[in-house]
Amino acid sequence: MEPNAALSLRNVSKRFPGVLAVDDVSLDLLPGEIHALVGENGAGKSTLSAIAAGEMHADSGDVVTSGTVGLVHQHFELVGRLRVWQNVMLGREPRRGWRIDVQAACERVAELAKRNGLEIDPNAFVDTLPVGVQQRVELLRELDRDPAVLLLDEPTAALAPAEIASFFATIVALAERGTAIMIVTHKLQEVLDYATRVTVVRHGRVVERMANAGGSVDAIARAMVGGELPQVASRELVTQMPLLAIRNVSAGSGERTIRNCSFEVATGEIVGIAGVEGNGQTTLADAIAGMIDCDGSIEPRIPMGIIPQDRQREALVLNWSLVDNAILGRQHSPGVRRGITIDRARAASDARWIVEHFDVRAASVDVPIRTLSGGNQQKLVVGRALIGDPRFILAYNPTRGIDVGAAALVQSRLIQARNRGAGIVLISFELDEIFALADRILVMYRGEIVGNFARDVADRAAIGRLMAGSQ
Amino acid sequence: MIRVRRALSGPAGAILLVLVLMSLAMIAAGTSPVEGFSALLYGALGGRNQIGETLVATSALLFPALGIALAFRGGLFNIGAEGQLLIGALFAGGVGAQLHVPGPIGIVLLLCLGAIGGGLWGAIAGWMKAQFGANEIIATLMLNFVAAYLALDLVSGPLKGPLAAGAETAWLDPTYWLPTLLPHTRLSIGLLVAIAIAFVLHWVFTRTVFGYDLRAAGEAPEAARRSGVNIARLTWLSLAISGAISGVGGATIVTGELHRFNTQLSPGYGFIGIAVALVGDLQPLWICVAAFGFGILEAGGLAMQASAQVPKDAIHVIEGIIILVLAARRYVAARGVGDIE
Repeated sequence: MEPNAALSLRNVSKRFPGVLAVDDVSLDLLPGEIHALVGENGAGKSTLSAIAAGEMHADSGDVVTSGTVGLVHQHFELVGRLRVWQNVMLGREPRRGWRIDVQAACERVAELAKRNGLEIDPNAFVDTLPVGVQQRVELLRELDRDPAVLLLDEPTAALAPAEIASFFATIVALAERGTAIMIVTHKLQEVLDYATRVTVVRHGRVVERMANAGGSVDAIARAMVGGELPQVASRELVTQMPLLAIRNVSAGSGERTIRNCSFEVATGEIVGIAGVEGNGQTTLADAIAGMIDCDGSIEPRIPMGIIPQDRQREALVLNWSLVDNAILGRQHSPGVRRGITIDRARAASDARWIVEHFDVRAASVDVPIRTLSGGNQQKLVVGRALIGDPRFILAYNPTRGIDVGAAALVQSRLIQARNRGAGIVLISFELDEIFALADRILVMYRGEIVGNFARDVADRAAIGRLMAGSQ
Repeated sequence: MIRVRRALSGPAGAILLVLVLMSLAMIAAGTSPVEGFSALLYGALGGRNQIGETLVATSALLFPALGIALAFRGGLFNIGAEGQLLIGALFAGGVGAQLHVPGPIGIVLLLCLGAIGGGLWGAIAGWMKAQFGANEIIATLMLNFVAAYLALDLVSGPLKGPLAAGAETAWLDPTYWLPTLLPHTRLSIGLLVAIAIAFVLHWVFTRTVFGYDLRAAGEAPEAARRSGVNIARLTWLSLAISGAISGVGGATIVTGELHRFNTQLSPGYGFIGIAVALVGDLQPLWICVAAFGFGILEAGGLAMQASAQVPKDAIHVIEGIIILVLAARRYVAARGVGDIE
């Protein structure tokens, strides 16, 4: 045990029904370090963070801290209908007599934001803000308590590349001022770029501790999966026939407006839509999915498999079992529906199929899906969208928050669907993912499609410039 | 220790807490708890007549509780069961007093009319929510008053029985009375209808597409909408069915118990039904058990008042306490659930 550690975990274990989530883990966080905790989905990272933050009690072992511990959650814990300053100050509002001193609160939030290089309007309502900005609110709330230790659970999963760079600038500055930082992430390049030490967990145990210098993405990934990485499936030549035509589609309002979007999707084609988050992608996805009214035409209307952007709100009923969730969205289709009843046996077999083919780690298919890690929830959502071989698939950040092995699996399944002849619209904030999967790349900027490149002539630099709004 | 705490945080703990609070209430009223409880239990279960009265109350509470549970499972806070029950009873009583068809057909017809009346009343609230975004709590609550005054107006005027002294319809012809279930008591086969509905609802919730959509809309409205559930349709339909179940309940009170309609026929069954539904954890079969428990309190309370000098109002205090205990239990349970990896 390091004598000057800001946080020490000693032989910590935690058991959940059917699974030993954390198994005899010891870990020190030192002031000023950025410590990366990596591992597969369900390896116990989030549980470990929750124990370190004092949000959950370990069954055995000790947690020793030298000060406040802040935890920024993967799934934000914000009150959407309150303003930014209200969220940041929640429970610690400055007072003037019996009233809240709004002005002092706003100034304090603005000052805190400025000091940490986080641009934000303290008076904005949180639910009007893009995900990247919402995360700044989460971060500010923790920073306001001046933590000695800051734990970040998948902090960049929802961020655009430019936001990631500025996010890490903030984090590095914090570390330089002596905060001990632990970051839980699946993005190994970020680990290499910013972390000082790396701890790898697998099945709840620490399997590798490495200093970051001289590491490689491959070495970390192999330690995570305990062997070689799965290969992403290769693309095959597929005859392309017109499948879906999107013509002059305009919809939405304010920052979410899209204008005159037109493109076509062919069978056996993945159309990748690149862009920084908040440029109309959600509106476009909702228009294609038929969830909002729009001008223009999207034809023909065909059944589709959908991977929505916000799995917890739009794709899952968190209190339900995997079995019940496995048929959500298909409960009205023949095969699942039998007259007025639901074919429960079919639901159970679908759930088992998804669990098997998408490597969903769960104690059983009958546990509530909220007990699964975010990555495993996402795998179920992806598996459900691909079940029954749909001819058209709408995928919105399909690998958000899932580990390298699982991401390779999901990407392989999408490519296999394409090879089989499905048309796919892939909206992703990860340019790497777009380049790995897409046959054609469109660029979205401020609600318009500003670029259209075939795979072989797509130029990364040009696309990057278009995403940023320059020619 | 942990096992004890776990047991206490369950329904058993809630019941234990309720018993303790009831004892305190009895001591405060100057009666020994032993005496009070024995009076209560004797009054509720001490003989054929007592059991009959307990089951009459059970049946009257069960219908609205089941209707409420259906709406609640869909995320709709229908607190208008009282009005829906009353309109159902009014339809049955109003038509029943003038009816000239063979007996069995008449009985089925009157129960159906109860469903139509209550269903209509629920559907009005559902339509207001689906069409204009009206808050269903306010809509259903306010429709209770509309129902009460509408019924009063009609039975004071056009529907008033020629020989009736107060606001009542004429008597139903005895061929339209529900058969008695327990001889020499007021208990009719309405109780069996209620239990049958509970089993049907259990099947609807666990097996049917409608039940699946309903539960999805209640648990995660946005996910439900995106899965293809027509939320507007589901809203008015579930409130209509919810009202229809309460309405049948009203019709069974008219045809099985009072044999005519009067405006005083429900001492708040539609409101106590909310507690019954919550105590039964919104699960139809548990609601049957809960309704029996509340039936004991309702029927036993009167006896307790007579023999142990504990005011009958104490029973309503206790019912309030039960709701509070259960609400607290749900709150604790919701808070105690941790998301895990």
